[in-house]
Amino acid sequence: MTSVLIVDDERQLRRALSLNFAARGFEVFESATGEAAIAEVANEHPDLILLDLGLPGMDGVSVIEAMRGWTSTPIIVLTVRDDEQSKVQALDAGADDYLTKPFGMAELVARVRAILRRASSGSTELPEVVTADFRLDLVGNRAFVGGEQVETRLTPTEWAIVRHLVRNPQRLITYRQLITAVWGPSYDPDQNLLRVHMGHIRRKLEPDHARPAYFITDSGVGYRFQPGS
Amino acid sequence: MNRGSLRIYLGASPGVGKTYRMLNEGVRRAERGTDVVVGVVETHGRARTAEQIGDLEVMPMKAVAYRGTVLKEMDVAAIIARRPEVVLVDEYAHTNAPGSANEKRWQDVEQLLEAGIEVISTLNIQHLESLNDVISRITGTQQRETVPDAIVRRADQLELVDMSPEAIRRRMAHGNIYPAERVDAALANYFRPGNLSALRELALLWLADRVEESLTSYLDAHGISAAWETRERVVVGLTGFVGGEALIRRAARMAGRVSGELIGVHVAVDDGLAQDDAQALAAQRKLVQELGGTVHDVVGHDTAEALAAFAIREKATQLVLGASRRSRWHEIVHGSFVTRVTRLAAQIDVHIIAQTDDTSAPGRAGPLRAPSYDPRRVVAGVVLTVVGLPGFIAATLPLRETVDLSTLLLLALVIVLAIAVLGGRIVGAVAAVFASLLVNWFEVRPYYTLTIAEGENLLSLVVFVVVAATVGTLVDVVSRRSLEARRSRLEAEALTRSATSLAVEPEPVARLVEQLASTFDLGGVLLSTGAAGQQASIAAVGEIDKVPTATLALPTSELASELTGEETRTLQVFGRTLSSDDLRLLRVLADQLALALDNQRLKAEAGAAAALADVDAVRIALLRAVSHDLRTPVASIKAMISGLRDPTVPWTPGQLAEAHVTIEEETDRLNRLIGNLLDASRLQIGALAIHFGSAGVADVAAAALHSLNVAADAVTLAIPADLPPAWCDPALLERSLANVVSNALRYTPLDVPVRLEASVVGTSIHIRVIDRGAGIAAEKRAKVIAPFQRLGDQTTTDGVGLGLAITQGFVEAMHGTIRLDDTPGGGLTVTITLPTAPAPEQALEELAGEAADADAAPAAPAAREEVS
Repeated sequence: MTSVLIVDDERQLRRALSLNFAARGFEVFESATGEAAIAEVANEHPDLILLDLGLPGMDGVSVIEAMRGWTSTPIIVLTVRDDEQSKVQALDAGADDYLTKPFGMAELVARVRAILRRASSGSTELPEVVTADFRLDLVGNRAFVGGEQVETRLTPTEWAIVRHLVRNPQRLITYRQLITAVWGPSYDPDQNLLRVHMGHIRRKLEPDHARPAYFITDSGVGYRFQPGS
Repeated sequence: MNRGSLRIYLGASPGVGKTYRMLNEGVRRAERGTDVVVGVVETHGRARTAEQIGDLEVMPMKAVAYRGTVLKEMDVAAIIARRPEVVLVDEYAHTNAPGSANEKRWQDVEQLLEAGIEVISTLNIQHLESLNDVISRITGTQQRETVPDAIVRRADQLELVDMSPEAIRRRMAHGNIYPAERVDAALANYFRPGNLSALRELALLWLADRVEESLTSYLDAHGISAAWETRERVVVGLTGFVGGEALIRRAARMAGRVSGELIGVHVAVDDGLAQDDAQALAAQRKLVQELGGTVHDVVGHDTAEALAAFAIREKATQLVLGASRRSRWHEIVHGSFVTRVTRLAAQIDVHIIAQTDDTSAPGRAGPLRAPSYDPRRVVAGVVLTVVGLPGFIAATLPLRETVDLSTLLLLALVIVLAIAVLGGRIVGAVAAVFASLLVNWFEVRPYYTLTIAEGENLLSLVVFVVVAATVGTLVDVVSRRSLEARRSRLEAEALTRSATSLAVEPEPVARLVEQLASTFDLGGVLLSTGAAGQQASIAAVGEIDKVPTATLALPTSELASELTGEETRTLQVFGRTLSSDDLRLLRVLADQLALALDNQRLKAEAGAAAALADVDAVRIALLRAVSHDLRTPVASIKAMISGLRDPTVPWTPGQLAEAHVTIEEETDRLNRLIGNLLDASRLQIGALAIHFGSAGVADVAAAALHSLNVAADAVTLAIPADLPPAWCDPALLERSLANVVSNALRYTPLDVPVRLEASVVGTSIHIRVIDRGAGIAAEKRAKVIAPFQRLGDQTTTDGVGLGLAITQGFVEAMHGTIRLDDTPGGGLTVTITLPTAPAPEQALEELAGEAADADAAPAAPAAREEVS
């Protein structure tokens, strides 16, 4: 049975989530504080963690930082905070995704399933990615749009960006994570540069680059590859 | 038989350790072989006190039957029969049970003393009759057991058992004084730090008086009239002259530094001549009284003698006099006043304080009366020329045959130089020529002609004119230079003063205008802004209703004109006409004034900006808190409902029921929060309807607890049955209590109940909600009560941290107060203070008054507006 740890200081929200996950056949653990959550993860090894950022005492981002030292258990951050900064901090610290409260259960469950699928599939060394509008040959570094016929050329930087995004389908990649993956940790390019590259990629691969369907922007946070739109 | 001696340990408040000290002394004396017994001791269940009794023999108490109960009282007869040397009798002010031989315990003690037994007793200051009403006013507790002061004063020894208020409260909090369950109430009522300090001070003062009393009687009995330095007494002579205030203030500071007494004395000389300035004297008397001193009047032939006699009689330790204003000549003839006083009052320290004229007092500007050339001196020079030179000729006429001409000319030179010094170089030169002509006419042969017979005489006359003119010019130049130097110095002083004001004073503009007036000795100065005809005054001194003698436009800096637009500022001076030198200086000072004005305006702008920033910070905090607190319940509801709507999920009936409960609870919570937000808005815009009435605190508290739906054992109620009703809006009080209690429940540990208690202090009711949670640090308390402020933005309270803020709003709207304190031993104690309801007649009157108001106003709503 898949197990999920719910970390939130709001008793009512914990109850709402645990009822929902229990009804869907998950095994549910609960913690009210960050310290308790870390102990719970060490003892129960849940498959997934739902973590509220605004916790009393040890704050959510600190919890992620503390856990990422020794476990790669996927973490979905739940937050009521509107400021992008805390989401980015959480994601940069190693969270896998986030949802802003209030959210629908359907969306949360979809995110949970996507992350669990990704985690269980292990290696993400895909040979190719196929969508309704384009096909990417990740081995031969070739991209085709419009029914396999037209090959479009991507620059090496664009390939590096695309490769990182499609290997983490549906997962939100922050600007910093993307920059680190493409240019390395010590390089500090302007986010505008990333935006320009992203524009080129969309022009080349998206059917309507003004309204992207595959390479989605999460405003102020990062990008996400949505394979089956 | 000799009367026994009485020793009383006096305490400022219960719990300072009187009984302990009494027993301690008993034990020590018993160890030294004295026969000591305990007549009566009240340990109040204090373990350390009980321990102290040790091996002392405790006399059995006498049982007195009273209305079916048996009370125990000290058995005086048994003690007298036992004949100990010393008996310890606790609680000197105790009232004996009805039916005892004596009504009061101090009467029992009298009997013991009469029997020749030494008594050691204890007494609290609040039992002293003379202090009874003042103490009941301070503490709000009426003390029924009192002892006449005279009886206590007759005690052979009084010893104060002193302890600082903080130490008492600490002992109290540790449970050394009262059992734990009474500690909170005691600390919040009688043992408030303010109360304890006041009681302590009263005790010390009372004892100090008594010490003085015995000192006086000792001095009288032993015929000692020399000053006895117990408490410093500072005597200051009131001069009745302008400037004496500084002397008085100085003396008051000297007295204050040593907690001494200030005594002002005015010596009226009975020679029938009123020489004193009555107005100044009245002001000085008032000042002495304001500074806490007393004023005495003495009449005598000789001021020094009268003053010294008074100081000795008053046992002064210090005598403060102003330095002599009399001329040195007066001093030589009449002897120095100060010297005489010092000699007459040989044992008293005499302080001579430098007298400062008000006009030259530090920080005040001396007038810069232009020391330009005085026309009166020119006139004097001319007069001396016209009168002095002919007079000189007349005086020397008989000598013209015998005295050499050069000698005569040297004598004339002296006069001419004097004229030059007085009248300046022109008058000096004219005088030189005039003198040479006079000498020529009258004293050079041939006489009465301008002809000169001898060449030598001609040379002498020419040299005379040259020397007289040259020296006269030099003298004149020197005196002009020195005048200029003086003027420059005064100008520099004026500029320094103005610059200092600019740098030091928080509001320099008014000060600078004042300084302008005094520097130039002006009748009035007006600083105004705006165009002519529609000026608005910024600052003004003196009389400004006449025609101005000078008008200056202040320069406007770029920065200032940016802030204020094109604005002209004008400085007008009235009274004296200013010389060109004065105007030059005035212009410089006006520039500084403009600078001060600009600074003032910039500071105001900066202050307004900072205030706006604060408002912004509060708004941001509010937004965050509201978004957190509103969205959290919405998140639960949405998660629950969206989960329920998923047709694929197999919900069990139990899960479904729980889901519905969650949704309902979260909806209630949201509703409460919205209610709180609405209350807060109503409070902020002042739209809260309040309906005063008399309310029983117990009823209101029960209703509040019911509305909170808390478990019965979560809150302990301790409300006395005889508590008078409070004057408040019962509905608002209920909501306030509910807020405070729910806040306390949130923080207190689960197994420790929150305590809700009430008591009456004077004419107010104190309701305390005591939790044993983490408490709130003193510096954060104001923040807790400020609306929309929470400790951090992460706690999971429902109410945007509004609970206590709204409560404060409610309580203050009901003319009450709310205070946060530490619970001794950890936690927070919230005290709500409300007035007690007026007595029924009074309430009826007020109701009648309100009815009259209601008649005048449009129909008052019958029921209170629903706020939630």
